[in-house]
Amino acid sequence: MFELVRGLAIVVAIFLSGNWLHAHGVPIPGGVLGLLLFYGAMLTGVLKLRWVERAAGLLLRHMVLLFVPLTVGLMDMGGILSRQAFAILASLLVSFLAVLLTTGLLARWLLHPEPETSAGNAQGVQ
Amino acid sequence: MSASAVIAHPVFSIGLTVACYAGALELHRRWRWIPTIVVACLPIVVLLLLVHEPYAIYNRGGNFLTWWLGPATVALAVPMYRNGLALRSSLPRLALIVFIAATVGMLTAGGTAWLLGAPRTIILSAVPKSVTTPIAIEVCRQLGGIPQITIAMVIVAGVLGATFGPLLLGLVGVWENRAVGAAVGSASHGIGTASLVRRSEMQTTVSSWAMAACGVFTSLLGALLAFFIR
Repeated sequence: MFELVRGLAIVVAIFLSGNWLHAHGVPIPGGVLGLLLFYGAMLTGVLKLRWVERAAGLLLRHMVLLFVPLTVGLMDMGGILSRQAFAILASLLVSFLAVLLTTGLLARWLLHPEPETSAGNAQGVQ
Repeated sequence: MSASAVIAHPVFSIGLTVACYAGALELHRRWRWIPTIVVACLPIVVLLLLVHEPYAIYNRGGNFLTWWLGPATVALAVPMYRNGLALRSSLPRLALIVFIAATVGMLTAGGTAWLLGAPRTIILSAVPKSVTTPIAIEVCRQLGGIPQITIAMVIVAGVLGATFGPLLLGLVGVWENRAVGAAVGSASHGIGTASLVRRSEMQTTVSSWAMAACGVFTSLLGALLAFFIR
């Protein structure tokens, strides 16, 4: 429990720092600024992964709960959704296929094949 | 106490939302094909319609939950860091690939909606549709889109990738684990990544990293775009 509260406190403090920076002129959203700060803090060893692992796991596992209230707001958008259904669906499909196939083909071309065994070892680190 | 006073009370709407989410999780555990988000939202929508209360009343409490999407975005650094360690040697190339993926995603989503004559808010809502929900919402707000439309598109993009991603990649001859992971993570964020867990550990590792990185690149590009269109 202590571990969880400590982890949540760290994550929230980083988010608030990100928001503060955003409010003071950095054009990137506070959450993403926080993500970058957090990543940097773990890379440099300022923050230890084990301090935040449980709290981060909890937030990520139950992320769906956090966007339920916004999604319920779709109930007020029947009009615009049905009027724009074709544009929305077409944009979704075209963009999905473009990203998936470009990335897959680009990665096949740029990433040299790696023997499966070394990938397996890299996994063992986790 | 009138129905609206009860629903407007944050404790009620938070409790209702958590209860509906818990029920949806349980159903999802039993029947995998049931999408949690849809089942969690339906009872709330039905209740609001039955008692003739507007969404804004419910959302007074809902906002408390929405706020936590910020810390959840921060938490994405954990899978990014952990999986980044396992991918060290190929990280620079992967970063380049995912950066291109983020650019392609934003341009094709916004571009298609624009070509079809959609209004400005729809075009801007479509732009961040490839990335994980909390980041997509932030980018959408920054651009001046409608977060709800972005969320709906994000979810469908996720389900498409989880269902057809590896199959479509196979059709163009992409089988290699890291290539599949990079493509599914960039196009279908967390929902796509979760579907790879049963296929291969390497695909999951790359996909988790790609999903977080694609979110970061999209919000950097989004900030740039917001600067030019405002």
